[in-house]
Amino acid sequence: MNARILAVTIVCLLWLVAAPFAGAALEGEGSRFILVQLRLPRMLVGAIVGVSLGLTGAAYQALFDNPLATPSTVGTTAGAALGALAVLVLLPGEQMGLPIVFVAAFAGALAVTFAIAAVASSGRASINDVLLAGIAITLATGAVTTGLQFQADMAATFEAVRWSLGHLTQVGYRGVMMLGPVVAVCSIVLLLQVRALESMLGGEQRAHAQGVDVRRTRTICLAFGAIGVGACVAWCGPIAFVGLIVPHMVRLGLGATRRVLLPMSALVGASFLVLCDSLARWVLPGQDLPVGVVTATLGAPLLVFLVTRRTRA
Amino acid sequence: MSAGLQMDGLGVSAGRRSILEDISLSIAPGDCVAVVGPNGAGKTTLFKAALGLLRPSTGRVTWHGADVRDIPGRERAAAMAWLPQRTGVQEVVPVLDFVRAARFRFNEGRRSASEASSAALRTVGAESLASQPVTTLSGGEFQRVLMATLVAQDPQTFLLDEPANHLDPAHQASFYRLISGQWQAGRSVVCVTHDINLLTHLSPPERASDVRVVGLRDGRLRFSLCLSDRQLKSALESLFEMRLQEVEVGGRCYFLPHSEELR
Repeated sequence: MNARILAVTIVCLLWLVAAPFAGAALEGEGSRFILVQLRLPRMLVGAIVGVSLGLTGAAYQALFDNPLATPSTVGTTAGAALGALAVLVLLPGEQMGLPIVFVAAFAGALAVTFAIAAVASSGRASINDVLLAGIAITLATGAVTTGLQFQADMAATFEAVRWSLGHLTQVGYRGVMMLGPVVAVCSIVLLLQVRALESMLGGEQRAHAQGVDVRRTRTICLAFGAIGVGACVAWCGPIAFVGLIVPHMVRLGLGATRRVLLPMSALVGASFLVLCDSLARWVLPGQDLPVGVVTATLGAPLLVFLVTRRTRA
Repeated sequence: MSAGLQMDGLGVSAGRRSILEDISLSIAPGDCVAVVGPNGAGKTTLFKAALGLLRPSTGRVTWHGADVRDIPGRERAAAMAWLPQRTGVQEVVPVLDFVRAARFRFNEGRRSASEASSAALRTVGAESLASQPVTTLSGGEFQRVLMATLVAQDPQTFLLDEPANHLDPAHQASFYRLISGQWQAGRSVVCVTHDINLLTHLSPPERASDVRVVGLRDGRLRFSLCLSDRQLKSALESLFEMRLQEVEVGGRCYFLPHSEELR
């Protein structure tokens, strides 16, 4: 068991180190620029976003005791999309660049998730009510987003669709500097909840009897999950499926014990997202295929394969 | 200000419906209390109120004088551990990890938590299950593992909700022996059940007078007698609204439905 965890850890770390060198050969003039200013920051942002999505997905699945819970289920992604689209559509053509979209998306993600967190911390709601509220608010937010898109002109809509596909294209280290510290803090806070989440394996009321402050744990997990994922989604757009698939891959390969599931989901999330991004560049060189397309097309069949294999065993 | 768990005029209601009314009950350290009553009497609600999971509509529940809803989680976990009537675990987690989760209240490293959890599994005779996934256990094995989580939590009081439900007679008897052992080792035990004949296994015959039987019906306490009390039969008869026949086997008292009830 421990040998397997160690093996997976080593493979993941080796891959992350090797990833910037994968792809077209680095030769001649400009190769240093490509490596240092394009590929390396792209790998780093991919790894940071992967950590955030994988870890938050695992934490939410543990918190909700539901294998379908993801950052998107509690409205984080939908809120970010609404914020980004509101700026892209309502302020079209204004050359404000990325930061304003980033800020709006981040604000949207937090607003929606914190609304859900307020439901969760009221104490009267069961955890399933919280999940239901998340799905309902996600749908409502999506409807508003669609309405906005309907109002928009072609250019703005195109821009919005591009954003919503998810991308990791980077020039320089701005993304790393912005996301790195946020994701680091959020990840540490989530990892500190491992013992409380482990206690929730037998339900929230049992966790309460074992001494866990259930409302506090809910609020912390939702809030810090949302801050990390919200920042990532705001920067890269919603990247589909990573938060859902990665914890399941870890669970099926290494077990569901929380103290393994959470950190390993972070690590596997990082390497999985970077792998998908490398594949995107490799399949269609020079086209800059959005990584969200790859995570979903690759991840969904992989998940089905893993789950059916487990059922047979 | 009294030691142990104390309920004073406790009432709980859900909407307009009152589930518990005016319950006063005190469980001192080392007590063994069996709460009996028909289905729907409010037995499970009693435990949830004791754990601070419910807000009482009247009265209060205190632990050593402090309201259970105000004491910090870890302190409450040191006072009481709970065996719920139903526990569902969906995740494929090894038994040892599942038991170790109950060590939450302790500020300790993983090694000492693991050692305490292994010891708890040994106490319940389930050490051979340590590395099995919780999801593959049989009903009897799972109940033992749940008991191990209570032992690992190491509280003063055990709150046991229908602990032997769904177990076959052999497992029921051995499970009650396990509970009895915990009581005789110094813990307080509060055991909720509707199976009055299992109670006799809570104590060795010579300590039957130390076991208090409390009757609960329609949310109210109906009687409080010791297990060896001669009036227990008539009290149980009116509690369950049926005639009973008392049978003594090996110094232990059993209650069977009266032959007229079976016609």
